[in-house]
Amino acid sequence: MAIIDSNPTETARTKKIDVRNLNVVYDSGGGSVQALSEVSLSVAEGSFTCIVGPSGCGKTTLLRTIAGLESADSGRILVDDEPVTGAGLDRGMVFQEYALFPWRTVRGNIRFGLERPDCGCADCEGRVDELIDLVGLDGFEETYPKALSGGMKQRVGIARAIAPDPEILLMDEPFGSVDARTRDRLHTELLDIWAATDQTIVFVTHDIDEAVRLANEIIVMDADPGSVQSTRSVSLSRPRNRTDTAFVDVVADIRTELGEPVETQ
Amino acid sequence: MSHQTESPPTNQSEIWYTADLRRYGRGIGGVAAFLAVWWVGALLTQPSYLLPTPEESARAFVELFATSTAVSAPFLGPELVLPTGLAHLVETLYHYIPGLLSGAVCGIGLGLTMGWSGRLDDWLQPLIRLLRPIPPLAWIVFAIVWFGIHHTGAAFIVFIGAFWINFYGAYGGVEGVDSELTDAASTLGVDRDLSMLKLVALPSAAPQILTGFRTSIGRCWMIVVGAELFGAPGVGYEIINASNNLAMATSVAYMLLISLAFLCMDVGFRLLERRALAWR
Repeated sequence: MAIIDSNPTETARTKKIDVRNLNVVYDSGGGSVQALSEVSLSVAEGSFTCIVGPSGCGKTTLLRTIAGLESADSGRILVDDEPVTGAGLDRGMVFQEYALFPWRTVRGNIRFGLERPDCGCADCEGRVDELIDLVGLDGFEETYPKALSGGMKQRVGIARAIAPDPEILLMDEPFGSVDARTRDRLHTELLDIWAATDQTIVFVTHDIDEAVRLANEIIVMDADPGSVQSTRSVSLSRPRNRTDTAFVDVVADIRTELGEPVETQ
Repeated sequence: MSHQTESPPTNQSEIWYTADLRRYGRGIGGVAAFLAVWWVGALLTQPSYLLPTPEESARAFVELFATSTAVSAPFLGPELVLPTGLAHLVETLYHYIPGLLSGAVCGIGLGLTMGWSGRLDDWLQPLIRLLRPIPPLAWIVFAIVWFGIHHTGAAFIVFIGAFWINFYGAYGGVEGVDSELTDAASTLGVDRDLSMLKLVALPSAAPQILTGFRTSIGRCWMIVVGAELFGAPGVGYEIINASNNLAMATSVAYMLLISLAFLCMDVGFRLLERRALAWR
C-alpha cells in the first residue's frame, strides 16, 4: 500500500506494521457483515498515523485486529515482520471508554502491565512514579477511577498503556468522551509523549480536525464494506493551529473526499 | 482538568441528621407497637402457656445466661462449660461455620469456573437446573443415612444451602465482567485464563460474590435451625426441646438468640464488605 511508496521521505523508515489483504467478517443475527474488506496498509516506525472515516467503516475493528483482540478471517498483519496471533505487551492500547480497572487505584492501574512476570522492569515503582508525573496526576496516586474526571481517567489509560514500554501505541477514539478544552490539552500532552519516546502511534478518530492536528500520516477509510480509501502524509509544521489556512485546507480536502459538507466560515 | 471536592453545605447535613432521627423514632415506635400487641395478645390467650408474654420471654432469655451447660467441643478440648445459651450457640456454630464456609468456597469456585468457561457451562447447566430446585432440607434423608444426624449431617445440609447462593453470586458476577476490561488486560500481557480469572474476573465479580455470601449467612441460619429440628444439637434443637416441655418462653428466648447471632454476623460482614469494596 501506498504510504511508504508515495512518500520518498518515509522510505528510509522501516515498516512497523504491515497489513495485507485483511478481511474480517462478523456474524450478526443470521447474516454476516463484512467489517473489513481487503484492507492493505503499512505504518512506518515512529510515525503518528491517524485512521479516519465514517462510523461503520471498520476503523475500530482494524485497530482491534492489529491489537490482537479480534482475529482476521483472511489476510494477515505483520508487526516487525512477525504475524500477529494475539494481544501482546509490544502493542499497548488506549480505549475510548478508558477501561480502567475500577478496583485499582491510579497507581494500581498504571502498574498493572508491569506486574507480569515477563515485564522485567528493574524498578517498577519508580517507573510508575515517573509515569504519574508524566501525565500530571501527582497527588492522585491512591485515588480510585470513580473519583476522576474523564480527562484524568484517560491520562491514567495512556500511562497504563505506555507503562510496559510498548513499541506501538494503539488508540481507539481516546478523547471522544472528554470535553473540547480537555481534549486540546490532551493533544498537546500526547504529542509531547510521542516526541519523548520512539513509539509508533496508530490513532482512530472520526474527528478530522483531530487527525490533522496530530498525525503525520492519515488513512481515510470508507464504509460498506470497510476499506481503505486513501492515505496521505501531513507535513504541516508543528505546533499546528486549527485556524491556519494550510490546516483548514487539509481538513477540507479530507471532508470532500469523505463526501462530508465542508464548513465555510 | 476539574476535580471538585465539594462537601455538602452544613444545613444540608443537618437536614439529613433530623431525617435520620425521625426514622429511628419511627423504628422504635414500630417495635413498641409490636410489643404492645404481643403483650395484650399473650394476656388474652388461654391457656396462657400457648403464648408467653414479652416479659416471660425476656426472663427466659436472661435465664439462658444465668445457668451453665457443658458441651462437647471437638478441636477445642474435651468439654467446654459455658452459659447455657452460649453453649448451644457454640454447638450450632460447629456445623454452621464449616457448612457455610465449605459451601461458599465450593459454590464460588464452581460459579467462577462455570461462568468463565463456556464449555463447562454447556456440560453442567442442565444438571444445575435439575439440582437447584431441591430444597436443602430435602437432603436431610441422605444427611441422616450418610453421616448420622449430628454435626456432620447438619453441616452437610448447611453446605448445600450455602453452595447454591454462592454459586449464583459468583456465576452472575463473572458473566457480567466487562469485555473491555478483559481486552485491556490482554493488551497488558495477561495471556492465561487463570491469570485473567484472578486479576480481572474475580475482583470484577467481587461485589456480587460478597452479596451472595452475605445472603448465604442469613439463609444458612434458617437452614441450620431446620436441620436441628431433626435432632442435631444446637439452638434449633433447643427450640423444639423447650416447646416439647411447653416452656414456650424458652423457645422464644432461643429464637431471639438466633436473631441476635445473625444480626451480629450480618453487621460484621457488611463492615468488611464496605471496606473491601471501597472502590465502588
